[in-house]
Amino acid sequence: MRPDFPLPDTTWEPTAEFWAGAARHELRIPFCARCGRGCWYPRERCRSCGGAEFEWRTMSGRGTLFSWVVVTHAFLPHFGDLVPFVPALIALDEDPAVRLATRVVDTDPDQLAFDLPMEVTFRPITFAGVDGSVTAPLFTPA
Amino acid sequence: MAAPHEDWGWATEYEDVSGAVAVCGVGESDHSKASGRTANQVVAQAVERALDDAGLAPADIDGLMYVPFGYQFDAAAFHEHFGTSHDIWESKAGGGMRWAASAPYEAALALRDKRATHILNSFGVAWATERSQMVGGPGESHAQELFKQNLEVPFGWFPQPVYFATVARRHMHEFGTTEDQLGAVAVACRRHANLTPGAVMHDRPLTLEQYRQSRLIVAPFRREDCCLISDGGGAYIMTTPERARDLGPPVVEVAGVGLGNSVTGTHWAEQPAFTSTPQVFAAPVAFQMAGLTPADVDVYTCYDPFTIHTVMQIEDSGFCEKGGGGEFVAGDALQFDVGRLPTNTHGGLLSHAYVLGIAHVVEVVRQLRGEAAAQVRDARVGIYGGYTGPQAATLILRRP
Repeated sequence: MRPDFPLPDTTWEPTAEFWAGAARHELRIPFCARCGRGCWYPRERCRSCGGAEFEWRTMSGRGTLFSWVVVTHAFLPHFGDLVPFVPALIALDEDPAVRLATRVVDTDPDQLAFDLPMEVTFRPITFAGVDGSVTAPLFTPA
Repeated sequence: MAAPHEDWGWATEYEDVSGAVAVCGVGESDHSKASGRTANQVVAQAVERALDDAGLAPADIDGLMYVPFGYQFDAAAFHEHFGTSHDIWESKAGGGMRWAASAPYEAALALRDKRATHILNSFGVAWATERSQMVGGPGESHAQELFKQNLEVPFGWFPQPVYFATVARRHMHEFGTTEDQLGAVAVACRRHANLTPGAVMHDRPLTLEQYRQSRLIVAPFRREDCCLISDGGGAYIMTTPERARDLGPPVVEVAGVGLGNSVTGTHWAEQPAFTSTPQVFAAPVAFQMAGLTPADVDVYTCYDPFTIHTVMQIEDSGFCEKGGGGEFVAGDALQFDVGRLPTNTHGGLLSHAYVLGIAHVVEVVRQLRGEAAAQVRDARVGIYGGYTGPQAATLILRRP
């Protein structure tokens, strides 16, 4: 395993633009040039129409809360300092079929509700025992 | 029962193998928490017991099926353990999970083509021992996968308890499923495990009230919504129904089998039908092949890493409408003696042992022979719903 796991490998080609965008505080998602749908995760072919051309677009950073959980057990030792935390899936406004896995921050989990409007906030993420940090798109209620 | 999204998967085309293959021997290893045993030792014990059950000698086994990943009880391991050297047909379309359900399909084709006469499918893990040494376990392959490494793990959306608690919460939202309904699944499994001598949780009762008080680990999941991590394994031997009638145990034959696939693999965030399993594609194939309907099923088992999987697979296999699973499983509905659908009657992955479904098949066979610990009265038709996430398979067994 990479020594910086569970930080992302920001150089891995399929998601490099996503992480490069995050470093600039932009939420970047590929859309199919043929059918116009969001294609997430990035694939060689569009799952909807089979198209092979993609255009990375900058999202508004707004979406709705699709589902979430409250993690109170550190499944990796690296998560020890984070617990409790709130991984979530956000359906993006530009194409709600795109569900972004992310983490909800600065929020009491009891205040969360389905379809709650959410917005992106770019924060450095770090993990116990791992050097360095990466800027990542996290979310708060809008 | 229509799938809410038919664009997310498909059924593999299967030939009709109804009545073409029988299970003539079953065996399980001892199941335990961390035991210091290796997967090899675990599987070999299960295989020896399956041979004893069938009344066969090691030299009679001329076909071996095992899992396409991880530890494999292949011909080399078989020969080394038993000191044999005969020719053995091998297939990596076996093992646990969905393969424990679909292996009989591949075996039926091999029997038809005379590639083998007695085919052994086996699977085992020593994940409890490995986890105690901080290696291996069910999360490892997920941690290695690059989309997960780069789009899920950095956000803490990892591993399986986290994905499926997210699915469960969405299921609650879409269909009104409640925590007590999930609890009913856990309680039924525990009661069955309490009755099953080999179950890891045999001596640990669980009431719904205790479930409600158990620790939240990834809300909405409590500890008791999650399967065990175990050392253990199982094996079953397949042959033609004609040959099976010459052997000792009562004949249990395959009535139908189906395999369903999801286009989004293990990336559940991408799966359009977020609260469904590929059983929606697999089960109709198996029922059609068998000429049976869900109403004909006497005993049901399914791959149950989390309580929500039992709810979803009951829906997706057609026992109720999509979304009706929570209501369906409530109360004592899954219990072997009073339930409307006796389910995971050995305790399942939740309370029997996390041996990835191979013991579920063993349990169905025992139920249909009338040999189970928590025996369903006059069980004639039983199912194992196998699951890996990207795929699910339905195996329908019957007493002819």
